[in-house]
Amino acid sequence: MAAVRASGLVKRFESTCAVDGVELVLAEGEVRGLLGPNGAGKTTLLRLLFGLLTPDAGEIDLLGRPLGSAERVSLDGVAGFVEEPAFYPYLSGRVNLELLAELDRSPQARARVDEVLAQVGLAGRATDRVSGYSTGMRQRLGIAAALLRSPKVLLLDEPTSGLDPVGVREVGALLRRLAAEGTAVLLSSHLIGATEDVCDSYTVLRRGRVVWSGSSELLREQAPGSAYRLQTSDDARALELAAQHRGIELVGSGAGELRIAVQAGALDPFVLSLGRAGIAVRRLELLLSPLESMFFALTGEADPDAVGIAEVAEAVLAGA
Amino acid sequence: MSAVASEVAVLGRRRAAGGVRSAFRVERRKLASQLAPRLLALICLLGPFAFAAVLKVQSGSPADSLYGVWVHSSGFALSLVVLGFAGQWGLPLMAGVLAGDLFGSEDRHGTWKTVLTRSCTRRHLFAGKLLAVALFAVGLLALLALSSLAAGALLIGAHPLVSLSGTELSAGHALLLVVLAWMLCLLPMLAFVSLAVLFSVATRNGIVGVLGPAVVDLAVQLLALVGAGVWLHFLLVSSGFDAWHALFVSAHRFYGPLIIGQAVSVLWIAACLLASWRLLRRRDFTSATVSRRPGWVVPVRVAVGSAALIAFLALASNWGPAGVTAKRVDASITPTFNNLTLLQQRELGRVVAPGARLNVLPSCSRRASTPSGPGDWICTLTVFIPQPGAVPFQSTPVTYDVTVQANGCYKAESPPSFVGQQTMRDAAGHQVVNPLFVLYGCFNPL
Repeated sequence: MAAVRASGLVKRFESTCAVDGVELVLAEGEVRGLLGPNGAGKTTLLRLLFGLLTPDAGEIDLLGRPLGSAERVSLDGVAGFVEEPAFYPYLSGRVNLELLAELDRSPQARARVDEVLAQVGLAGRATDRVSGYSTGMRQRLGIAAALLRSPKVLLLDEPTSGLDPVGVREVGALLRRLAAEGTAVLLSSHLIGATEDVCDSYTVLRRGRVVWSGSSELLREQAPGSAYRLQTSDDARALELAAQHRGIELVGSGAGELRIAVQAGALDPFVLSLGRAGIAVRRLELLLSPLESMFFALTGEADPDAVGIAEVAEAVLAGA
Repeated sequence: MSAVASEVAVLGRRRAAGGVRSAFRVERRKLASQLAPRLLALICLLGPFAFAAVLKVQSGSPADSLYGVWVHSSGFALSLVVLGFAGQWGLPLMAGVLAGDLFGSEDRHGTWKTVLTRSCTRRHLFAGKLLAVALFAVGLLALLALSSLAAGALLIGAHPLVSLSGTELSAGHALLLVVLAWMLCLLPMLAFVSLAVLFSVATRNGIVGVLGPAVVDLAVQLLALVGAGVWLHFLLVSSGFDAWHALFVSAHRFYGPLIIGQAVSVLWIAACLLASWRLLRRRDFTSATVSRRPGWVVPVRVAVGSAALIAFLALASNWGPAGVTAKRVDASITPTFNNLTLLQQRELGRVVAPGARLNVLPSCSRRASTPSGPGDWICTLTVFIPQPGAVPFQSTPVTYDVTVQANGCYKAESPPSFVGQQTMRDAAGHQVVNPLFVLYGCFNPL
């Protein structure tokens, strides 16, 4: 049984079709990235899944149950947040969680308040008023509030926004652990980099439509390539060598560095040839991962099948 | 219905009750942790004591309020003055502070999405919030009632009370009536709470929600000054606050306004809550679809709507028969004056035979072009006193300036040259209120 199944979802706002015939299946234990640029329809889709909006067409099943109308929506076993998590600012983090546990009507949730606060690293600030929390702390509290329900489905909208790098890593590890325990996670983001190490699969939205859906391996396979920043001991000769290698293309240069677009499998031979030619590689930095290049190709204006890594890299790295 | 279907229905009802209970507990805890309800509780607890203490150290009295001149004589009068003020201003304001931000605050903090993504539906949340705020409203009303009774009893004394017909009520009887009077304000207060809920849901604005009921209350009080018709006044949201007056009238008893006041309160509660739920049940809490109209459209609409409403209400204020007529004022003030005169005589130590009554001929007229309606009236009460040798009686006219309200209650004052000073010495030499200095009374305007 799919944990989440959405079929033919449509949501219009006046003349704008924010979600246009979206199909989505999320299996138990799967972490799926919901990707798309701003305005692609990710947040609207999450609102629909939470029952905060009623679809104009289509159906949603959560854990095998139809979601129901907006006024009597049933979200048992489902948790998460849409947009930034919001709490009562005049109450402490702990009291906020206690109130949410009460709304969940679950004695287990009430007993887990301290546990989830510790899980997200807020145990030391639990008695502080939420009005004094930073954005990252609110984000952590939002995740804690979701965990309180011991959810089978976790719907998260940009959960790492506002977190420091350590926090991002911790949240990623937490989501992987939950997935290993069988929780289905839908992770919305407009930055594929933030989800790269976490997601098993992706659904990419563009202008309300699903433009790509599949596993992360498939996404990598279909990716047009990657882009790197390269500093060598002899940039002029490195350029000459690049021109001789298929799949290596210069997309920019300056300030003692080259920016190159690299098709899948073309990097290793090129670096080896630099070494054989006596050119030292002083710096090789990934600017655009294969997943990122695929994301930009899928969400850009041009036909993704006709776009090469050079065009993507040129468009994305312009001015970098 | 099959056994399985009925079991499912029972489970559904249990589930719904559980959701409402959870939402109620959450809202109760939120309200208890907020400053405003705590401040209100403090005011309800200490306000009457402060009022009684101020009265204790000064000789003046709030004579314009019903029972105002009696506050130094009976602690029950103090409770009734507090009740009168509360019904006029305090309870509508309290309702606004308690409930005016109940739903708007969720919009302001962006917490609708947080609470609606738990195991409670918006139906549960709506019901839970209403129950919690109703509990606080009832609690505050009870606290104010008990505090005013305690302040009156402790600082002034639980002495007998003079009724609105001029008869004396024993302390026990007065206590019962005062408690009933406070209880009768419960439904009107909940009507204002419901109005505040409607403002809060409709506008999503805490300031409008908090001040809205007070503004409506002010408008209602202004409306009470115009128009002679009786129906609009009885349909207004605050009409129930006047219901208790009927309890204290012993001559020409009437209960019509009391029953109508309570029924009207129930109607207001039902209408406001129904409208609130209709607005809330399909609302998009994500604000994604809120289309902002140009800044001047809403104010213009509000201004036009308000002007149309004021014009309509001004016209409707003459709807129905006149509630305040010379006949009714005559019929009410005569026994009141009679009873208070006899009370005065008894307090002065004179023997008054049981069942004695004066021979009074009233003549009341309105001091305006129209002969009926609330406002300023003048009453001349001609008292015929049998005198030995007089043919047939000696007549003594007493003139009262009477301020009559649309609800049928009035205050009558007469110059000291007619009725003496505000206080007098009783037979035991104590300084007491002169019962004839100010008369309070009420009659049935229906």
